[in-house]
Amino acid sequence: MDKNKRKEIYENIKLFISAVFDFQDMSSKRVKKNAMDEFDNFMLLCYGDLIGIPLPTTYYTLELLPYLAEDLHGWEHRIMARKSVYQDRWGDFDN
Amino acid sequence: MKKLIFFGGKGGVGKTTSSAAFAFLCANNGEKTLLVSTDPAHSLCDIFEKEIGSKITELNKNLFALEIDPEEETQNYINGIKGKMKDVVSPIIIKEIEKQLDAASVSPGSDESAVFDKLMEIIIDYRDKYDRIVIDTAPTGHTLRLLTLPELLGGWMDRLIEKRIQAMELYEMSKRYDSKLKVIIEDDPVISTLKARKEKMEKTREILTNDKLVSFVFVLNAEKLPIEETKKAIHVLTKYNFVVNDIVVNRILPEEITNAFWQKRKALEKTYLEEIEEYFHDKNIIKVPLIDTDVKSENINILSSYFSSI
Repeated sequence: MDKNKRKEIYENIKLFISAVFDFQDMSSKRVKKNAMDEFDNFMLLCYGDLIGIPLPTTYYTLELLPYLAEDLHGWEHRIMARKSVYQDRWGDFDN
Repeated sequence: MKKLIFFGGKGGVGKTTSSAAFAFLCANNGEKTLLVSTDPAHSLCDIFEKEIGSKITELNKNLFALEIDPEEETQNYINGIKGKMKDVVSPIIIKEIEKQLDAASVSPGSDESAVFDKLMEIIIDYRDKYDRIVIDTAPTGHTLRLLTLPELLGGWMDRLIEKRIQAMELYEMSKRYDSKLKVIIEDDPVISTLKARKEKMEKTREILTNDKLVSFVFVLNAEKLPIEETKKAIHVLTKYNFVVNDIVVNRILPEEITNAFWQKRKALEKTYLEEIEEYFHDKNIIKVPLIDTDVKSENINILSSYFSSI
């Protein structure tokens, strides 16, 4: 009985801590942020031309536009709004 | 017998004339021949005095010709994308994107890519429809760039595919409770489009570097600059595994000259000819004389006979 009680308290403490510090959600949030960054990097490799970076594959990535067009505007907005590289990196640790 | 024959060389040495003469010879021998010009400043039509353009035109029995028009190819490509977009993307975004597409169609690299694209199509799709495909290329620099594109772009394509998969895997990880995401990576139209493009480039490269199918003919004149340029070009081509078998020395002066000026030129030419024979000793050297008239479709057979050893 005493053992079960102890186990219950332990489980509750575990739940309490994970809820307060939000470990799981934080890590998946971070992974998601990373994934979004990677998608942005992919867009940069495809459409860097639009912001003045010449790429040898520009002609061939045009045919990806039907699938990427929805994201293009948002990406352009995000990349143009970047003020500094450091600020951008520090921003990753805010969550 | 080589199926694809590229004629290259410095500007003005006689690439178009040589390739036309060779194509004429092949057609005369009963081979169904396609003569393709990749030079944006086309002059095939001027030799044959016939409008050729971007559709395959019959010039003679067994002889067909095509001049790749970069602008038209780009336009076709862009229109294709616009058409496809109408099925997938919302109308508001289409308006926005169409502007970008039109801007891209006049951007610096697009002409080159369009020519390369059409050339890939010709090499892959028309290979079985013709006995011979003779390609009259643009001056050296342009052509080297064109031929090395598959290698260069292949690496880029790999990188793009890799990056896309990486992003999708991370995204999948962040939603690991959603089992449907695995299927999405395999069905991703972006990855499949990139892969299809890459495969096409790889196939082109495979064909171009197959020395049983392809031969490169370099045209030059017995003068200093064309010789130097040819040396460099062959060096670059060898680096990319392209094999150059034949050298055409065009416009050789006649032996019997009485004028002192031309005698001096003839003596100079002899020294350059010796240099060519020594430097390109492992290649088949074809000497074509300077003739006393313009080359046109009715007298091109005068030149044709010189090219029988290619």
